[in-house]
Amino acid sequence: MSLRLRLILPLALLLAGIMIYPLAFSGWISLHDYRLTRIDDVRFEGSGNYEFILSDGSFWNALSNTFVFVGGAVTLELVIGLGLALLLQKLVRFQNVARAILLAPMFITPIAVGLMFRFLLNSELGVIPHYLAALGITVDWFGPDLALFSIILIDVWQWTPFMVLMLLAGLEALPRSPFEAARVDGASAWLTFRKLTLPMLQPVIVVAVIIRALDAFKVFEYVYAITRGGPGDATETIQFLIYKTGFRFFRLGEAASMAFVLVTITLALVVALYMSTRRR
Amino acid sequence: MNRKAKYLLGSFAIGCLLTATASASEAAELNIIIEEVPEYDIVRELSKEFTKAHPDITITFDAMPFDAMRDKILTSSLAPSAVYDVIIVDNPWMQQFARAGYLEELDGRIAESQGYDFEDFIEPIRNVGVVDGKIYGVPYYNYALGLIVRQDIFDEKGLTVPSNLEDYVSVVKELTTDGMAGVAMQPQRGYKIMEEWKNWLYATGGEVTDESGNVTIDSPEAAQALNLYIETYKAAAPEGSLNWGFDEALRAVASGRAATMLSYNWMLPTLNKKDGIAGDLAGKFKLYEVPGGKAVLGAWHWSVTANSEQKDAAWQFVSWITSKQVDKQRVIAGGAPMRTSVVSDPEVWEQGFGEEYYKTVLSILEDAAPLATGNSAEEVIEIVGTELSAAVSEQKSVEDALKDAARRVERAQ
Repeated sequence: MSLRLRLILPLALLLAGIMIYPLAFSGWISLHDYRLTRIDDVRFEGSGNYEFILSDGSFWNALSNTFVFVGGAVTLELVIGLGLALLLQKLVRFQNVARAILLAPMFITPIAVGLMFRFLLNSELGVIPHYLAALGITVDWFGPDLALFSIILIDVWQWTPFMVLMLLAGLEALPRSPFEAARVDGASAWLTFRKLTLPMLQPVIVVAVIIRALDAFKVFEYVYAITRGGPGDATETIQFLIYKTGFRFFRLGEAASMAFVLVTITLALVVALYMSTRRR
Repeated sequence: MNRKAKYLLGSFAIGCLLTATASASEAAELNIIIEEVPEYDIVRELSKEFTKAHPDITITFDAMPFDAMRDKILTSSLAPSAVYDVIIVDNPWMQQFARAGYLEELDGRIAESQGYDFEDFIEPIRNVGVVDGKIYGVPYYNYALGLIVRQDIFDEKGLTVPSNLEDYVSVVKELTTDGMAGVAMQPQRGYKIMEEWKNWLYATGGEVTDESGNVTIDSPEAAQALNLYIETYKAAAPEGSLNWGFDEALRAVASGRAATMLSYNWMLPTLNKKDGIAGDLAGKFKLYEVPGGKAVLGAWHWSVTANSEQKDAAWQFVSWITSKQVDKQRVIAGGAPMRTSVVSDPEVWEQGFGEEYYKTVLSILEDAAPLATGNSAEEVIEIVGTELSAAVSEQKSVEDALKDAARRVERAQ
């Protein structure tokens, strides 16, 4: 065995232990009727679990809710984050203080954020509906029409700072000369932003969007702390459905097959997004 | 030293040795998982008496919120040797855990425990711990539902508290004004709506499954119960309360913004407690049977784990805490009643919350049935609770929601 292989071997073994083995085991589980309360009676199902979940309305509903959540949250975070990053870049005084305040939400654990907003927006216990009611406005933030949107807003509150951080770093790394040339040529601020800033910032935007989207696909805590997937199944996301199936109903086979379908979809999306930027 | 003295000294030494050996063999460390609720505070206090009487048995309570408990019990039960020797089991878990082999069968131990009187536990609660004819759990406390009303409002308006569902619906509509909802409901998806609505289902004579296990959740009785529930929510519940659970409904009633609610029977003393959550309204609340009479029964049971290495000591504790004498002390201290003898004891009425309250609790418990039973009880609750929520929030029609519930419950079973 060459020296290079021998040096790589410990890392490869470690990775196999902590990543490949659990992945392979969950792959094996996804092909079986594997229930925690019937551990002595595990039956081979073949593609049965996959066939069931793909024909089940709950799975597609959870997937669709997740896509709406990811699309809505990441788009809003990108737009607001970019706006704030541009403003912060121009800020001369109190720059560090403004950044520190802006980044604070990111450091709170998501379950705490979920509980916090549950009590802020709850129609009976919440402060915000109380004051809105004083103004004559009644909004049921967790009603069937608004619940998913409210959860998107919570994610936007917590994770827009991440976008700001990424985009601000990107903006500050841009070369100055093209902007000076544009100013000399009399280009408007909007034209400069559209023709210079955006295209030059694109690689940073793609990376930020991919990282945020991958993270947003894992949304669980807000749903768990606030709506538990309801009303009806209006806020049931795929992670919550996987948790419910696997750890509440103990159907680990079904839950594992859902997780594999989700991984396949997200991988395909990431590759597609990455390839589309490479082609340009 | 004369012969007699030598004999006495020798006997004393042997006695000490035997006692020491016996203590060594009986010494046990019990790990008990328990939910962090007011009942636990009472049990913890009472247990000091047990450890005083059994210095060789050490008890460690692992108290935690409901959500964390089932996962911990599961991992402990799957392990070759138990983390927990005594667990408390919620009624939807009982059959699943017993059939999965997590729980120790208790028939023999109950039969050998003199004066234990298992038959004294109120029948519907007692039956929850019996799976396939064997006893796997003895009652810890109940959370059967009752109708809690603001008696002063009923008296003021000259209204009688209704005993059937149709009258209840019309009364809560009548009670609804701008500042007061007739009823604080709990239509939150899943457990809460199922727990509340199933009382309505009982009132119309329906059930989730019949005695042979056939799914009957899409019956005309269920449709009637759901239609009435939705009608009541729209007409008499606070606006925007579609996602309300226990906390919100209780607060609405305690703060005087709702006149009635279906809630756990032991919430009455909490609401009527001076300097409690209801403030000046304390003393104005009264408990009745749910409209229709038959109530949803929730119950927790004590069980000994099958993989425990301290089963004798575990049963010693469980049989002690649920014995007639200790159960009486627990109920006087504010615990939820389980035994007929305790709930009918004048001493308990006097030192507790009064004769009328305990008599109502007894009539609720005698005509109550579990929220869900079977191997997939937890899943059935979630399935039906999701479909009910979809119907109340108008995402589905009543017929479609019940049809989907029936299809999914059939698959889950």
